Amino acid sequence: MKLKMRKTTATVLASTLLVMGILSGCGAKSADTGNSNDKVTTISVWGMGEEAKSIPKIAELFEAENPNIKVEVQALPWDTAHDKLLTAVASKKGPDVVQMGTTWIPEFANAKALKDLTPYLDKYPGLKQENFYPGSVETGTYEDAYVGVPWYIDTRVLYYRTDLLKEVGYDQAPKTWEEMQDVSKKLADRGQGKYGFSLDVKEQSLAFMLARQNGSKLFDAEGKPLFNQPEFVGAVKYMNSYFENGSAPMDLGIDAIQGFRGEGVAPMFISGPWMVQLIQDQAPELEGKWATAVLPAGKENNFSSLGGANMSVFEYTKNEEASLKFVEFMAKPETQLKWMELTNSLPSSKEAWENPILQEDANYKVFGEQLETAIPMPSTKEFEEIAQSFLSSFEKVYRTKGADIQKEMDDFNKKAESIINK
Amino acid sequence: MKSFTSRKAPYLFIAPAIILLTLFSLLPILVALFISFTDMDLAGLADYSNLSFIGFKNYIEVLADPVFLKAIFNTLFYVIVGVPLVIVTSLGVALLINLGVSKVFKVFRVVYYLPSVTNVVAVAVVWTYLYNPAFGLFNYILESMNLSAIPWLTEPTVAKVSLILMALWRAVGLNMIIFIAALQGIPRSYYEAAQLDGANTWQQVTKITVPMLRFAIFFVSITTMIGWLQFFEEPFIMTKGGPLDGTMSAALFIYKNGFQLSNFGYAAAGSFILFIAVIAVTLVQYRMQSKESDY
Repeated sequence: MKLKMRKTTATVLASTLLVMGILSGCGAKSADTGNSNDKVTTISVWGMGEEAKSIPKIAELFEAENPNIKVEVQALPWDTAHDKLLTAVASKKGPDVVQMGTTWIPEFANAKALKDLTPYLDKYPGLKQENFYPGSVETGTYEDAYVGVPWYIDTRVLYYRTDLLKEVGYDQAPKTWEEMQDVSKKLADRGQGKYGFSLDVKEQSLAFMLARQNGSKLFDAEGKPLFNQPEFVGAVKYMNSYFENGSAPMDLGIDAIQGFRGEGVAPMFISGPWMVQLIQDQAPELEGKWATAVLPAGKENNFSSLGGANMSVFEYTKNEEASLKFVEFMAKPETQLKWMELTNSLPSSKEAWENPILQEDANYKVFGEQLETAIPMPSTKEFEEIAQSFLSSFEKVYRTKGADIQKEMDDFNKKAESIINK
Repeated sequence: MKSFTSRKAPYLFIAPAIILLTLFSLLPILVALFISFTDMDLAGLADYSNLSFIGFKNYIEVLADPVFLKAIFNTLFYVIVGVPLVIVTSLGVALLINLGVSKVFKVFRVVYYLPSVTNVVAVAVVWTYLYNPAFGLFNYILESMNLSAIPWLTEPTVAKVSLILMALWRAVGLNMIIFIAALQGIPRSYYEAAQLDGANTWQQVTKITVPMLRFAIFFVSITTMIGWLQFFEEPFIMTKGGPLDGTMSAALFIYKNGFQLSNFGYAAAGSFILFIAVIAVTLVQYRMQSKESDY
């Protein structure tokens, strides 16, 4: 998922006013390695989003283990990262190691910008696919090339205000689509300016995830899109129903947490694990009044989408060995647990999940359960554009009273076909 | 040596400008022209062997793309509404400031100029807050006067007007300075003569000042027009081209297709169409300008 939480206006403001400089990742280095002839290699690592600011802390541990490698971390905001990467590919100069949102892998792998790690697996056993969850290995694989080592994974779950749901007669989270609609309606009926479920219309994976819950395969065996079939159209109708009866806010202009806290303008939303930390930080007064739950089930299942980020080695790197060492370090179970401590990101390493923290914490339990069945978004290079195109089609649907959903989806399906056949 | 200085000196003086212009303007334009006839995407960018020539296919497709047509329509809307607004407002402000005699007017010159020198990104972010439907200042004021809230950025046509308002507020300062400079170049004797003939202030402004400002107005209208044809930052930051592509400008369409979806060939074709439009509009304006008689 490249879209880690739409940036709140506040962070946009902050990042515009603050010059996002290079966060130098060199900590206080223990000066003497005892051998002054050691040539120090410097590798540059590009991380993205909020969590990238924590990479330097991990890099310090790596530097302590490898005194002759220096790590320079650059944190790029998600919304400019794509541009920077394009420039790096065009000029063949860029990072040595780069964090890759799982949805970007196909595009950059297709452009041969990411090293295929298959030949290096024997030398760096930490990178071997069997160490990780199969779903996340899938996100790092493109046409048989293993280009992204699973780093952290995320999956979407339901966040809800336990106290407010109790008030409308739900002692636990809604279990099915119907219950979800019912509780949203009841919450929206609390009064003017109150809603039930904050459905994020800019989240490109949501519709595809819901369509799968409704039994859609998204693409048939030949790779033809199935977006005008009843399963997919049904999911869009379901999404639209929230806007039709006013259970979901349109153009509210406040972010998920602002809507979640206080009186709970929108006491339910679907998002990934990073929100746990954000709620704890930004709305500490909600302690004990909210919880996470697995997604309500559609006609077929309640499968969520699987996203996250992988670590890739840039094709044009000049420091192959040091880069691979760093990626291997990031893939270690203990590093991933440390990373979880810092950012609440879920580890992709199977071994890490045996840790008691993940087995005991209520929220992690929910994510663990949801992960068992989570499926990544289709990994074709066209999917990003198809998803963008869906968002504009869906915008037409929810902004038009009584829109002809079938017709919109027929059009969208045609568009998707033309994107694929380009 | 003497002949060198007299003959070649001018070339030496313009050489830096010519070299820079070639490197950073003319060359990229030629490259873009080349790319617009290929199917370049990210794979093509990384390795040129993946490129293939597809003739005018990009142009045919982009001209049939409903979003592009909408972007063209929006851009025309920006130009047709925005340009006259900017000229009239900045000319009005310049005249009023010029007529004033007290110290206050000097201060206001700075006040009006400030938005132009403020970073557009910061300005756009602040205006996004002002326009915010939930806690924006504008709707707060409207509601406190018991008027209904306006969907500043959430209704396609209103959003276009909102962006124009903000861009207008930014553009007035610079053009006002140009007008004030031009105003001070008008000889006082004209006004004295007019006063002897009994012309009032309004007549002096319309019969002397505005005609004398012809070149300044021409300059401002050309630069403003080109600026609005390339309207980009405001919709990019504030609306991302939404709602329903209602604020999508041609430049933003090019950016989205080029840098977000990596369809470089397609975007280059779009940018060439915009480039030709800008050139055409400028030439038309030059024509109209040269037809007018000189004083």
